[in-house]
Amino acid sequence: MCQKWVDHRPEVDPLTGAVTTDPRTSAASAADHAALEWGLRMVEGWGGELLVATAGPAAAEVVLREALAAGAHHAVRIDLEATATSEEVAAGLAERLAGADVVLCGDWSLDRGSGSVPAFLAAQLAAASGLGCTVLALDPDRPGEVRAERRLDGGRRERLVLESPAVVSVEGGGTRLRRASLAGVLQAREAAVEVASAPPLTPSRPPLRIGPYRPRPRSRPAPSAELTARERILVLTGTPADRPPPQLLVLEPAAAADRILDQLRTWGYLL
Amino acid sequence: MPETFQDFDAVVVGAGPAGSTAALVLARAGRRVALLERGPYPGSKNMYGGVVYGRVLDGLLPAWWDEVPAQRWVTRRSTMVLTPTQALSVDFRTQAWGSPPYNGCTTLRPDFDRWLAGKAEEAGAVLITSTTATGLLRQGTRTVGVRTDRPQGDLRAPVVVACDGVNSFLAKEAGLYHHPEPEHFTLGVKEVLGLPRHEVEKRFALQGDEGMDIEILGGTGPVPGGGFLYTNLDSIAVGVVLHLPALAASRRRPEDLIADLKAHPAIAPLVAGGDLKEFSAHLIPEGGYEAMPGVVADGLLVAGDAAGLCLAAGLWLEGVNFAIASGQAAAEAAIEALRSGDSSAAGLAGYRRRLEASFVLQDHKKLRRAPGLVLSERVQHQYPKALCDVVEALFTVDNPAPKRGALRAARAVGKNDGVRLRDLARDLYTMARTFG
Repeated sequence: MCQKWVDHRPEVDPLTGAVTTDPRTSAASAADHAALEWGLRMVEGWGGELLVATAGPAAAEVVLREALAAGAHHAVRIDLEATATSEEVAAGLAERLAGADVVLCGDWSLDRGSGSVPAFLAAQLAAASGLGCTVLALDPDRPGEVRAERRLDGGRRERLVLESPAVVSVEGGGTRLRRASLAGVLQAREAAVEVASAPPLTPSRPPLRIGPYRPRPRSRPAPSAELTARERILVLTGTPADRPPPQLLVLEPAAAADRILDQLRTWGYLL
Repeated sequence: MPETFQDFDAVVVGAGPAGSTAALVLARAGRRVALLERGPYPGSKNMYGGVVYGRVLDGLLPAWWDEVPAQRWVTRRSTMVLTPTQALSVDFRTQAWGSPPYNGCTTLRPDFDRWLAGKAEEAGAVLITSTTATGLLRQGTRTVGVRTDRPQGDLRAPVVVACDGVNSFLAKEAGLYHHPEPEHFTLGVKEVLGLPRHEVEKRFALQGDEGMDIEILGGTGPVPGGGFLYTNLDSIAVGVVLHLPALAASRRRPEDLIADLKAHPAIAPLVAGGDLKEFSAHLIPEGGYEAMPGVVADGLLVAGDAAGLCLAAGLWLEGVNFAIASGQAAAEAAIEALRSGDSSAAGLAGYRRRLEASFVLQDHKKLRRAPGLVLSERVQHQYPKALCDVVEALFTVDNPAPKRGALRAARAVGKNDGVRLRDLARDLYTMARTFG
């Protein structure tokens, strides 16, 4: 199972978008805790061993020791910078997690994680994927088979049956990590943590520049002085103006992806 | 590491300055010591808006100033007396405090506590975070360890050092707090305001790593207490310390009182534009010598805030140095008791003797009248107003009337502000006995 070491209280500069993190307030997210708890239950129900993995600098080992204290059997840290992309993280984790029956992850981390590492991981491992699950059901007589439930739009739910090998990401609210025993905490302090290096990754495409959302400035004519203050604001913000009608485009996947990126650039989400 | 994980020579509860010092001294003596901290890291639960006077570390950590995570070294100290529209400052500055061995520094407790706990860990103490001591393990009246909030969480040890802070549940459980009256506590409330480093230095006339400490009398409205303002590297800490029963009776919110202080004409320019980074509040044991609990029981020692060791004596506002010294004394007494195999109250009695022989209890004893004096109505409200009025009368040039002279001005102000000579003489006598 995978854990991500992330600052729970980062400082974000409102002007530059620069993020300052602090190792003291960094830990695993609630979703990763939930994934760890499901992993511990799987091992209790099916037998086997739980390997916990994270990617990051040495300070990230704190999340591994927490997992070891709670009952994980082995721990491995993929030595990567905290700025590694999801693809790089997944590649590093996949090399060490190959052969696992089930890989559990949190669905997204507190640092505005996109939840893409589990998807990359499933692709790397050629495993079935069940992403964003709320509840898992584990049958002791059917080891390796995970029955999962996840949300759909409109309040509906979807039930999945996943057979190993599978990558499952879970929401943080589905369960709560058990409290580690004192003996577990003391043993985890001294437990060995394997350190592995990440394989080199050739980017499949030029990296996108990602920055804080900055709507493009648009010049608009000054509203008429005859209007009330409220009406002038509405004119300036374009609130009542007619918007372009929604379009339904049917495109090839590559063209559709380009179109989406163009639109995100237009809106200012991508630089 | 002990053979069975839960067995130690000593368990220290609380990784604040007292606890980490006790663990450091015990570990250096080769003792197996567990240092319990309820927060995720040492300092995460602590609040302190003051100056740390580190000379007490000279014997433990030589040249500690080279590595202590100081924000600024205090070279400028100001005592300010406020009325709603007046301010009188006594401002002192010396460059002697700006070089080794220094006098005091401002620091952020998450940095300072983590640094000191790190020293204890380096010496061999086992730091256990995110773990709360929920009670004492007892055999009859004897403490034999602590119970924690973790499954199978009992920790056994012949000596427990309770450094669990003000309002210590462990000391209370051991029956050491006989009269934990609210009047012996104040509530410290603090805001940390972010300001660019150059702005801090410009506003407080500082250079490099110089710092300033402002103690304020009379800035807390109807509630007896005091105010403070300290400079960090790129932030300032501003806050108030409020007498607990009076705060409850006033029905004022502490954040309103800080807002009033920040709006005072003498303070507002110093804090203007500060970006609120942190708001915190904490009880402070200000009862002094008379309100201290017992500090020794069978198998148990109490140190730091848990023992009420905080000096709030007007001129001197100190806590961390007392915590460090008491933690060291507790550890030395524990080592002596472990060596002799007697961790009963009699075996641990060396702790009290050490405290009495050091500045810890000598200062508290000498200044035992200070809390009552400083928090009295006259010192809080009447004298600040009279003092400011006298100075205003002295420096107001109202020609063509001739100058009145200081004594005449003081007599007029005293009469006007209702200061009775008999009270003043009595308070001056108490001050002389207390601070002299």
